[in-house]
Amino acid sequence: MNILSLTHMESRKIKRSKILLILAASILILWIPNIINADINFQMDDIGISPENSFFIQGFMGMVWFIYPAAMAVCTVLLVQTERANNGILKMLALPVSTSALCLAKFILLVLLSVVYVLLSTGAYYISAAAASNMADYNLVLMPSYVLPMIGKLFLASLPMLTVFWMIAVLIRTPIFSVGAGLASIVPSVLLINTKLWFLYPMCYPFYVLTSEYGNLAENMSASPVDLIPWIPAAAAISVICLVIACLSFGRAERR
Amino acid sequence: MSFKKMNFLLEWKKIKRTGFFAAFLAGGILAGAFPVINTAVRTEMFISSPGSPAAILMSANYQTMAMLSLLLLTAGACILYHIEYADNGIQKMQSLPIRESGLFFGKFFLLLPAFFLMFCIQCAAMIFCGLHWLDPAAASEGELFHCLELVRCFGFAFLLTLPAALLLLFLSSLCRNMWIMLGIGILGIFLGTMLPSDSFAASLFPFAMPFQTLPGMEEDLVIRYIIAAVSETAFIGIIEIICIRIRRLFA
Repeated sequence: MNILSLTHMESRKIKRSKILLILAASILILWIPNIINADINFQMDDIGISPENSFFIQGFMGMVWFIYPAAMAVCTVLLVQTERANNGILKMLALPVSTSALCLAKFILLVLLSVVYVLLSTGAYYISAAAASNMADYNLVLMPSYVLPMIGKLFLASLPMLTVFWMIAVLIRTPIFSVGAGLASIVPSVLLINTKLWFLYPMCYPFYVLTSEYGNLAENMSASPVDLIPWIPAAAAISVICLVIACLSFGRAERR
Repeated sequence: MSFKKMNFLLEWKKIKRTGFFAAFLAGGILAGAFPVINTAVRTEMFISSPGSPAAILMSANYQTMAMLSLLLLTAGACILYHIEYADNGIQKMQSLPIRESGLFFGKFFLLLPAFFLMFCIQCAAMIFCGLHWLDPAAASEGELFHCLELVRCFGFAFLLTLPAALLLLFLSSLCRNMWIMLGIGILGIFLGTMLPSDSFAASLFPFAMPFQTLPGMEEDLVIRYIIAAVSETAFIGIIEIICIRIRRLFA
């Protein structure tokens, strides 16, 4: 079986999990307050950012700092736990399919879920920007030529974080530690984006990229530059190591 | 042996090998490390800020610590019922001649000390920061006024976190699937952070209340929060009992 059909099979397993409902609800909770409080964006004179840019940044800031990583951590729990119930994983491991391929297929599904999340957020951004423009009589909608590449960057920056979450979910068998470790790892990113060693902590990558963009857009704020040189090699190394560890240890406890 | 006591002992035995207390210990240490690192790195800024050491420390660190506590409580509440649902253990419990609400409160009284332990570690870490960096003179003179202030802050915070803890356990008892409970819990916490901070009514939302801090709060507001926390806790407990009754009707 190739990896595509495996991924397709995995996606059918989570069809009835209601995960999309949870993801959609989180996006609603994020954007509705942004529409209601849209007038804050007109009081940003001291920072020197235009209202439309501010609306974009404020909305996505709420997403990348907490709810997006947290939603992805919940998704890893879903991917691991659906099969532990009633020992479904034993049947999968008994098939003549390599366990690493199974592990990769699940990871690809996690990436697909994050793509869905990011696309839903983009849609929500355009709807709420249009709604807020209507209420404020001011055009808050940014051009897709700016928004889409920026969101693409955020998504790419979040890939190493997904590999770390996936490794945590596969490696730590005790549910409370795997959930707790995944969720607790989100919180320190607030501290770490202000340090020089931010590129060693994948959970803060999307947040860092967006904060740096905030600095670029706002005249009176210093921008912390995104230096590609220590970052890209570090991120690639962390992702590869995490994925390899996850693939090697996937199903190990069950086979023992 | 009385049934009540049996409930608690049973719950304790069930949770023993899940790493429940170890997780809260680790979470407490992690949350406690936050103010220590924060104060160590930015000592100058902390010393130059106005206000009492307790107020400075709380305003600089407590939001993040509350977030960590809430996330850990979510994981803890989740595991308490997950062990029942994972292999249909709940059906065996339901067939025993004990009340199902007893099961719930047995679990709650297990969650309570775990999360009290976490708060104690956090409070100790804050007192250490206060004595070590902000007010070294107080330690030498034996004047422990600021420590008491911090203890009071954390007592208040503990009380305000109670409704959230009970609500998370309630959600966990409702959802068979772990990720749904986790998802709803995360959504609740996120909503708590998104609600407007200047409105008293909005801050009564169980997941928004743990983010309130004592320093600088007016006395009648403090009393109102305490009343709200206690009544919300009682209310969620009653809702749980009603829910169990209804579920039994349709089981």
